[in-house]
Amino acid sequence: MSLTETAQQIRRRDLRIPLGAVLLVIALAAPFIGSRYVTHSLIIALIFMLPAHGLNLLVGYTGLLSLAQAAFFGIGAYTAGLLAVTYGTPFYVNLLAAGLVAGAIALPLGIPALRLRSTSFVMCTLGFVIIGQAIAKNWISVTRGDMGLSSIPKPHFALGPLSFTVSGTMGFYYLALAIGVLATLAVWAIVRSPAGRNMIAIRENETLAESVGIPTWRYKLIVFMISAVFAGVGGSVYAHYLTVVSPLTFQMYYSTTMLIIVLGGGAGTISGVVFGSLLFVGLTEALRITPELRMIAYGLCLLALVFWFRKGFSPLINRFWDTVGGAK
Amino acid sequence: MTGLPLLEIKNLRKSYGAVKAVNDVSIHINRGEIAGMIGPNGSGKSTFFDCSTGLAKPDTGTVKLDGQDITGWSLNRIAREGRMLRSFQKTVVFKSLDVEENLIIAGQMFTFPSLWSTFGLGRMSRQRVSGLRERARELIKMAGLWDVRHQPAGNLSGGQQKLIQFASMLMPEPKLILLDEPMAGINPKIIERVVDTILYANKSLGVSFLVIEHNIDVVTSICQRVIVLDQGQKLVEGLPQDIIQDQRVREAYLGG
Repeated sequence: MSLTETAQQIRRRDLRIPLGAVLLVIALAAPFIGSRYVTHSLIIALIFMLPAHGLNLLVGYTGLLSLAQAAFFGIGAYTAGLLAVTYGTPFYVNLLAAGLVAGAIALPLGIPALRLRSTSFVMCTLGFVIIGQAIAKNWISVTRGDMGLSSIPKPHFALGPLSFTVSGTMGFYYLALAIGVLATLAVWAIVRSPAGRNMIAIRENETLAESVGIPTWRYKLIVFMISAVFAGVGGSVYAHYLTVVSPLTFQMYYSTTMLIIVLGGGAGTISGVVFGSLLFVGLTEALRITPELRMIAYGLCLLALVFWFRKGFSPLINRFWDTVGGAK
Repeated sequence: MTGLPLLEIKNLRKSYGAVKAVNDVSIHINRGEIAGMIGPNGSGKSTFFDCSTGLAKPDTGTVKLDGQDITGWSLNRIAREGRMLRSFQKTVVFKSLDVEENLIIAGQMFTFPSLWSTFGLGRMSRQRVSGLRERARELIKMAGLWDVRHQPAGNLSGGQQKLIQFASMLMPEPKLILLDEPMAGINPKIIERVVDTILYANKSLGVSFLVIEHNIDVVTSICQRVIVLDQGQKLVEGLPQDIIQDQRVREAYLGG
């Protein structure tokens, strides 16, 4: 082995593990580094990452554009809020229930909606958000209408003699981080499974997927339900964080934000959604203190996307990651 | 083996508005046979394929595979449970996925016992996928795609995509394959390769074929029997050499 070869090998050393460790330390130390407001922005980003992960399975992997995500987010928030306020159930029960209820409601909504093709499907999913908001506003005996549900308790954990309440911003950050990591791992598992491959097949060419025996319709329905579960879980964390739920939780703005996270981050990639959440929610939330800069920054981000990164930022992230990994 | 035909289609009709695309066609395919289907453009060949394979619903008529009535089954069910596969006139592959992944996808639903089991990442699941990968590699070698196996299928030539599609259909050990113009738009060298693979699949793997094809030389060289469609109806069927001599076929299709 010549000297130059060795030198090159040293230069191309795989730095992914050290970099990963650095990122992990940053993630864990974030509340100590930034101000309380930055931590709050990160929590909002982590919460929105959950429905975005679900939407990514639908849009990025299966190729179904849906605007219904805010509806399931709202359903999750109301489920958690109502359970907590009415029955005083603990946080983790509300979290699971919110996911399950959102997933269960996605079934009867998905069956007719998924019969529709492309644009009709998008319009139909848009309707779900509007209907959700109308129900939240008008079913006053349950939802208390525009007043919404308030004083939803902060997450409280009781394990035998040990019990604690996650009340502070810092504590909530770690809770949101843990849930975010678990959700990311869950998406990773789904995508890596043979079903994930079938989902991509459906996105690429549905008729061809059918012709090799893939029951495309059933897959689409299941993925629609899974994406609703993610949104529902996100909604429940949101409700417990803000301690208030109102009909405004059913907002088109939320659906489009989730869509921008997925498309801007990079549809069909997990790293893209994580990055997109930080950029499009974390950053805009953090810039809220300077309102005049906020929308300019957001607009510049979108312009950069449209002109230079049509596939979102994920190809850029991947290239960076490969470079760090020692590739040319 | 029974004397029953592998595929038996009776009185199939399909209209689009006033157009009778397929008008009362009955055919059968025997076990181990390579049958050809020819006819002018618009004679109803592709519609006939669509109705037989579940892509379209026939207005009337029955489709029986191995004695089982599969009329009205969906495309994916016919493929999965009937092991009758079809290709499409316009070559289709999963473009952004590499050649090997294309083949693995084509085999998955035949290896996993249920839809839910495909969500697994356990040992069983990994074993099944690695089994599929092995089979995919064998077929990739056979199709002469070894050097490009890790390239996205969409980057390959039309002829190579045809070969991918063909190899994909062999993944689940099918009983019967319906090919819709497999030789259209590919160069003579690849035509030879496709012909070889069809004959190999037929002789060594026992797959029966129904082939729609305009290339008469190919039809006469590989098919044991030829069915001629014209204006949605079966004009005639018989041995290839008799068909090309047939006056009606010459008038309707071969020209003079």
